Amino acid sequence: MTESSEGQKVADQDNHTLETHTRPDGLALRLLPYIDKYGILIVIFVMVAVLYVTQPDVFLSWRNITNIFKQTAVNAMLSIGMFLAILTAGIDLSIGSVMMLGMMSAGVAQFAGMPWPIVLILAPLAGMGAGLVNGIGITKLRMPHPFIMTLGMLFMARGLGNLISGGVPLTGFPDAIRFLGSYQIPLGEYDGTRFNLPVALVLTIVVYIAFSLMLKHTVLGRRIYAIGGNPEAARVSGINVDAVLITVYGICGFMAGIGGLLLIGRTSSAFPTAGTGAELEAIAACIIGGASFFGGRGTVLGVFGGVIVMGLIKNGLNLNNVSVFYQQILIGAIIVIAVFLDVLRREIGTRK
Amino acid sequence: MVATGKRKSETSSQRPIIEGRGISKFFGAVTALNDVSFELYPGEVLGIVGDNGAGKTTLMKVLSGLYKASEGDLLFEGQPAHFNSPKDARKLGIEMVYQDLALAGNMAIAENIYLGREPRNKFGFYHLGASQKMARKHLSNLKIHVKSVDQKVEELSGGQRQAVAIARATAFDAKVVIMDEPTAALAIREVGKVLDLIKNLKDRHISVILISHRMDDIFYVCDRVVALFQGTNFAESPLEDTSRSEVIGWIMGTKENPGELSHDRVE
Amino acid sequence: MRRLPGLVSIFALTMTASIATVSAETIVVSMKGPGAGNPFWAAVEAGAKAMGAERGVDVIVLAPPTESDVASQISQIEDQLAKGIDGLVLAPTDPTALAPVVNEAIADGVPVVFIDTIGSNAGVTFIGTDNQAGAALASEFICNGVPSGSDVAILTGIVTQSTGKARADGSREGLTACGMNIVAEQTGEWDRAKGLNVMENIITGNPNIVAVFASNDNMALGAAEALKSAGVLDDVLLVGFDANPDAADSILAGEMTATIAQNPVNMGRFGVESVLKLAAGETLDPVIDTGTVLVTSDNAADFQ
Repeated sequence: MTESSEGQKVADQDNHTLETHTRPDGLALRLLPYIDKYGILIVIFVMVAVLYVTQPDVFLSWRNITNIFKQTAVNAMLSIGMFLAILTAGIDLSIGSVMMLGMMSAGVAQFAGMPWPIVLILAPLAGMGAGLVNGIGITKLRMPHPFIMTLGMLFMARGLGNLISGGVPLTGFPDAIRFLGSYQIPLGEYDGTRFNLPVALVLTIVVYIAFSLMLKHTVLGRRIYAIGGNPEAARVSGINVDAVLITVYGICGFMAGIGGLLLIGRTSSAFPTAGTGAELEAIAACIIGGASFFGGRGTVLGVFGGVIVMGLIKNGLNLNNVSVFYQQILIGAIIVIAVFLDVLRREIGTRK
Repeated sequence: MVATGKRKSETSSQRPIIEGRGISKFFGAVTALNDVSFELYPGEVLGIVGDNGAGKTTLMKVLSGLYKASEGDLLFEGQPAHFNSPKDARKLGIEMVYQDLALAGNMAIAENIYLGREPRNKFGFYHLGASQKMARKHLSNLKIHVKSVDQKVEELSGGQRQAVAIARATAFDAKVVIMDEPTAALAIREVGKVLDLIKNLKDRHISVILISHRMDDIFYVCDRVVALFQGTNFAESPLEDTSRSEVIGWIMGTKENPGELSHDRVE
Repeated sequence: MRRLPGLVSIFALTMTASIATVSAETIVVSMKGPGAGNPFWAAVEAGAKAMGAERGVDVIVLAPPTESDVASQISQIEDQLAKGIDGLVLAPTDPTALAPVVNEAIADGVPVVFIDTIGSNAGVTFIGTDNQAGAALASEFICNGVPSGSDVAILTGIVTQSTGKARADGSREGLTACGMNIVAEQTGEWDRAKGLNVMENIITGNPNIVAVFASNDNMALGAAEALKSAGVLDDVLLVGFDANPDAADSILAGEMTATIAQNPVNMGRFGVESVLKLAAGETLDPVIDTGTVLVTSDNAADFQ
């Protein structure tokens, strides 16, 4: 019987019981869980401090703060859906296009004279439809990786969106439709400044709390994590993995539709280029927020942090009139660093 | 093809909990199992030995519902049983502990034990508290000690993971637990604990099928051993009537002069 | 943990390297795409900055990373409005999608003009090329160059955009008026590679084509490749639009025949000038034409 050195080490420390052995932990090792959980908050705090120093009058103004949330709300909706896919060790490349499909569906319904509640529900429903097709393709058509199915959907959804709309921007949505994306709840006036709370921010918070509860306290949520951790284990445990995956991609598409409603509200327009590249921003937010591409790892709070980091970078550089090219470089660099941190974390984790 | 007609008198009087009659499994032109028969009695630990490709794992997958037999009958407590999925087998109390353990490393011990059969509260939500409580009780029944049931499985040693996997298999009224090489990946010191755990199951009147290459394991915990060779029954004997060298001979497909085999000394 | 400060310091460096000096008046020019890599927007930027320098105002030129990134352009303008600005010169990536943020600017009392592409907000002055007139100018050149009744083709841009539609309309009307036989009118979506593909298809079906109008130079340059491969480049009059440096080179090399020059420098100059006028309480004409010029081998060297 051969014995790996690692196995031997484990055995040496194990004093003849099946008890957990405590190991001499390093500082890094003990800090690890906290960095995992709260590292993103440290990053945000430092960014806020730096931005405050560079733009003391503007950055922490109520208007700029609400701007940041208005600007990140669409990405927030896409990212939380993407997060579910990433949790299952999958990915959804189609959400940008699916968002556009949802917007166009709403636009076409609007121009067909349908009542606003139907127009409103159509965007997320169209998104969910596309998502369910993704899920069914991934599971029942046995695509080798969600990458393939959702890449196909990326093209199909945009093509379909252009087909139903004729490839033209559809404009002129009533306030009821634009409410989610554009309405600002007046909070009152203080010292000459009007304080408004964007509905988009309220929605973001509600959605993130709901997702957090879903992942922690529902059987579905736990199974999503389990599938990400070990799909084979989930399968042999009798979990209907296909059903969970189809649900996940359905939710992902649904959230893309909600993102589309926010963008309609923001722009009063359903336009053909909407959501181009948005899936990559959502992936970036998830990665920066600590979600692991290996699946099963990451938190809703982390994703929220990732979304905010992306928003802060853009807002901060815009305020300082820095070329968008730097934004791209910076976001790219942060993605690489975030994943490198993940790699380090795993290495320290396995070295135990 | 049965080597000895003798069987433990105490078990032969009982009805087998599982019986396989003439089971064959074909994968296209490949015959993985050919007319294999066996019985497993309540509270018995049955060792199944055989070289790589002898059909042990295929047989186990047929028993646990992952594969459907191409030919032959499976009887559970005397009644014909048809498994379309592991769920069906599990309903009858047949549980499998996989060689690769099949645990989600990113999740807590308690969550792994109840994976796929999560306790819910009255609103249908996942009941974390209940799963922790049940896990603690179940682990202590099995005399498995862990620091905390909230500990993630990836932080455990191989033996501890094996213990969690066995705890999961026995979490819900298991009658039969099938284990595929449970000690293969373990440190030597942990092997004994897992084997004691198997004896513990036997004491709780749970039948165990143990697939193993290791003669030490077989001779420490098994009551009876069945040898497969190239997909067929080759030999079968109560442990007390055979020897390591004879069983090793069976694995290699010989019933002659086993004492001369050099493998005996190596093992 | 040790890595986090690294990440933050990159951020801090980028920030501190870029703190702009604050001046009395700040005019923001928001273009469709970055000046780097696109001579058209580079010229708009240069014109705007030159006018800013003449008038002693601060001109901040912004653009989304790509011309399709509508959301980025909106965010950039929102962020500038939060800072407080004195004028907005906007080339909207999508006229309707930008309308709400333009309204926000107007509500803030910020004077706004559109350049290059007309927006959808009523009462906002548009400063740019009369694309239909420019396309008509190109058609006139073709009409003078080939006999009436000849087979000609039009490569359109994206006709759902106002610019694409105006150029398509102007060229179609002009070519029809002088009796040309338009055998094909297809879109190359402003893209060089697509222009090449579409031209290949057109030429296969219509070998007798003697003139082509492409709605921008990118497509014209693509079409030139297709005509060259088919061995008919010398027999076909090929007219583009925009007068970008590559097109000027191509005209001088005897491949493209002509192009129509817009005046992006004037868009930048007039844009800044106009918002300053608005800020001073003056009123503007609803449309200010920055003019178009026919560019042939005679004057192409000016556009290289």
